[in-house]
Amino acid sequence: MKALFRQSAVLVALALLPAAVEALYLRDKVPWNARVAESDFVDVETARSWGANVTWIDARPADEFERGHIPGAVSLNEDGWNEGLAKFLGNEWLPEKKIVVYCSAATCNLAEDVARRLRKEAKLPNEIRILKGGWEAWQQK
Amino acid sequence: MAAKVAWRSLAILIGGLFVYAGVVKVIDPVAFARDIDNYKILPWQPSVWLAFYLPWLEILSGLALITRVLFRGAVFIVTGLMIVFVVTSIVAKARGLDVSCGCFGHASQYLNFTWHLVLDVLLLGGLLLLWKRPARAP
Repeated sequence: MKALFRQSAVLVALALLPAAVEALYLRDKVPWNARVAESDFVDVETARSWGANVTWIDARPADEFERGHIPGAVSLNEDGWNEGLAKFLGNEWLPEKKIVVYCSAATCNLAEDVARRLRKEAKLPNEIRILKGGWEAWQQK
Repeated sequence: MAAKVAWRSLAILIGGLFVYAGVVKVIDPVAFARDIDNYKILPWQPSVWLAFYLPWLEILSGLALITRVLFRGAVFIVTGLMIVFVVTSIVAKARGLDVSCGCFGHASQYLNFTWHLVLDVLLLGGLLLLWKRPARAP
């Protein structure tokens, strides 16, 4: 039993070393304080004030989109991403417009995931923001 | 003899799985931190620390299972990790969270909750078999 705990402690301690080295190596590329930077969000009032200069993207599942969405919003989520993205780029995307992505509420992560993929995979040059509070906040305002 | 070969093969298989699971997460620790954060159990910062640490613990434990160096300690750690993962997955499901565990990087997103549980139960079963046999036996 003693050997079991000793061996476990050795492994637990050994793993600290490469983890610390990796963390140091990547220290400038990691969002240490928050999952999403505050500057990536936009509140409902500000986004509304942008008027027609916004492309709204609804990152919720299609059935929730069908039940209700922000007027003019495009449904684009991670289910069938490639087809959805191609359709969006072909029909809706305008390079000069800001993009605001939203999901159901402040606790959901779908908007964050879609916004990240639009930046990193689709490499869109637009200013891309996440709607603070999502669809729930939109309905309350 | 056949039992010894089967036992060693099982240890190598499970060890290999953990090395693989660790490596895919080491490549993108921020993505793994997001996976941990999706469970809504820990604040963001501890999720990031764990995202750097856990993959290396998996890799070292997996290598220990394969090489039989620190074998019993590795079986203990891997069993513990599996139990924690199964419990957190069930709790997340009960809370209505639709989370990808991120256990095997992007491959995880193609497994639904049921298949994850089946895989976990199989792994736990395999680990129980490794517990039964003394490390020096084969």
